Amino acid sequence: MFRLLLSILIAIFSSLSIAQQAGRGLTPLPDRPPAPDFVLADMDGNQHQLSSYLGRVVIVNFWATWCPPCRAEMPSMQRAWEQLEKEGILMLGIDVGEDEDTIFQFTANYPVEFPLLMDLDSSVIDQWPVRGVPTTFVVDPKGRIIYRAIGGREWDDPELLALVRALKQ
Amino acid sequence: MGLLIATALPGQLSAEILTGKEEQTGLRTWEWRQAGISIQLVQRSPDQTRAFFQGRGFSPKDADSIALACVFQTIFRNDGQQPLSYDLNEWQITYQDERFPLQTRERWEQNWLDRAVQQAARIAFRWSLLPTRQSFAPGDYNWGMTSFGLPPGASFDLSLVVIVNGKSISGQIPSVVCAVDLP
Repeated sequence: MFRLLLSILIAIFSSLSIAQQAGRGLTPLPDRPPAPDFVLADMDGNQHQLSSYLGRVVIVNFWATWCPPCRAEMPSMQRAWEQLEKEGILMLGIDVGEDEDTIFQFTANYPVEFPLLMDLDSSVIDQWPVRGVPTTFVVDPKGRIIYRAIGGREWDDPELLALVRALKQ
Repeated sequence: MGLLIATALPGQLSAEILTGKEEQTGLRTWEWRQAGISIQLVQRSPDQTRAFFQGRGFSPKDADSIALACVFQTIFRNDGQQPLSYDLNEWQITYQDERFPLQTRERWEQNWLDRAVQQAARIAFRWSLLPTRQSFAPGDYNWGMTSFGLPPGASFDLSLVVIVNGKSISGQIPSVVCAVDLP
């Protein structure tokens, strides 16, 4: 009886943890493809062209407000941004298909300070190797995609940040 | 989440099926696990799905057509040690002794084009469904809806295929039930 109860408890807690936990690690892309360039506006109307950030490490995150893992990783992205901004590493969140009003409402509950760009017609995400959101890429100072993460991450994890920082020239 | 029951299927020694029910909503869940891979189906009530898609630009009629297509929230995780890939075109359901394919993004897309659904709604639809094809490194995962095209309350078996480090693994989740459409 005890073993049965123990099995049930293990099943309950392991299932809950599987559903809720973030993913782990960053996957190196062996061919280091060039990051497709884009020009997108952020919430303040500023234009961001990826190629203008050559020389810097850039984290590019594709997301949407309705996506549960995207929402879940936003606070850790903000915490990571608070460390990385002063080190010259850039973070860009690219919302897919939603307008400024929708994103603005979202940021009332999930305040973030890094630029949130709008890919209204999905023309940018379609140029990147993305099949589901969130997907995040780390681009090195030469404009090459070095790492990919499919699904949410704890972006302020020191081990993960160490991989990002190591790309600085 | 309610009580979960683990069942080992004959012939699939290392696979495990967990079923459960969310206490507050009564929505049921099914989960297939093997070697650190987890595929979890969570019933979506038709009302949940109607509200979601009407909120993203679909007309009530079009949102209704999705809501009544047996939609599940699906959480696919690779917490194992090997890379994996899948193609939903290789998955099948068995319903009343007949086999059917899943209703993937691509199968729905032509429908939306024929019905002149606006672009913003089509974009939201596309990205809210589980990717048709995906490759996961260890640690990767996706959430997304899957739709099976069956009426509310229908029961079916899901046959799935996952390629793990180049090796094909087949599995089955038996007796999955589409959420009912409450009046």
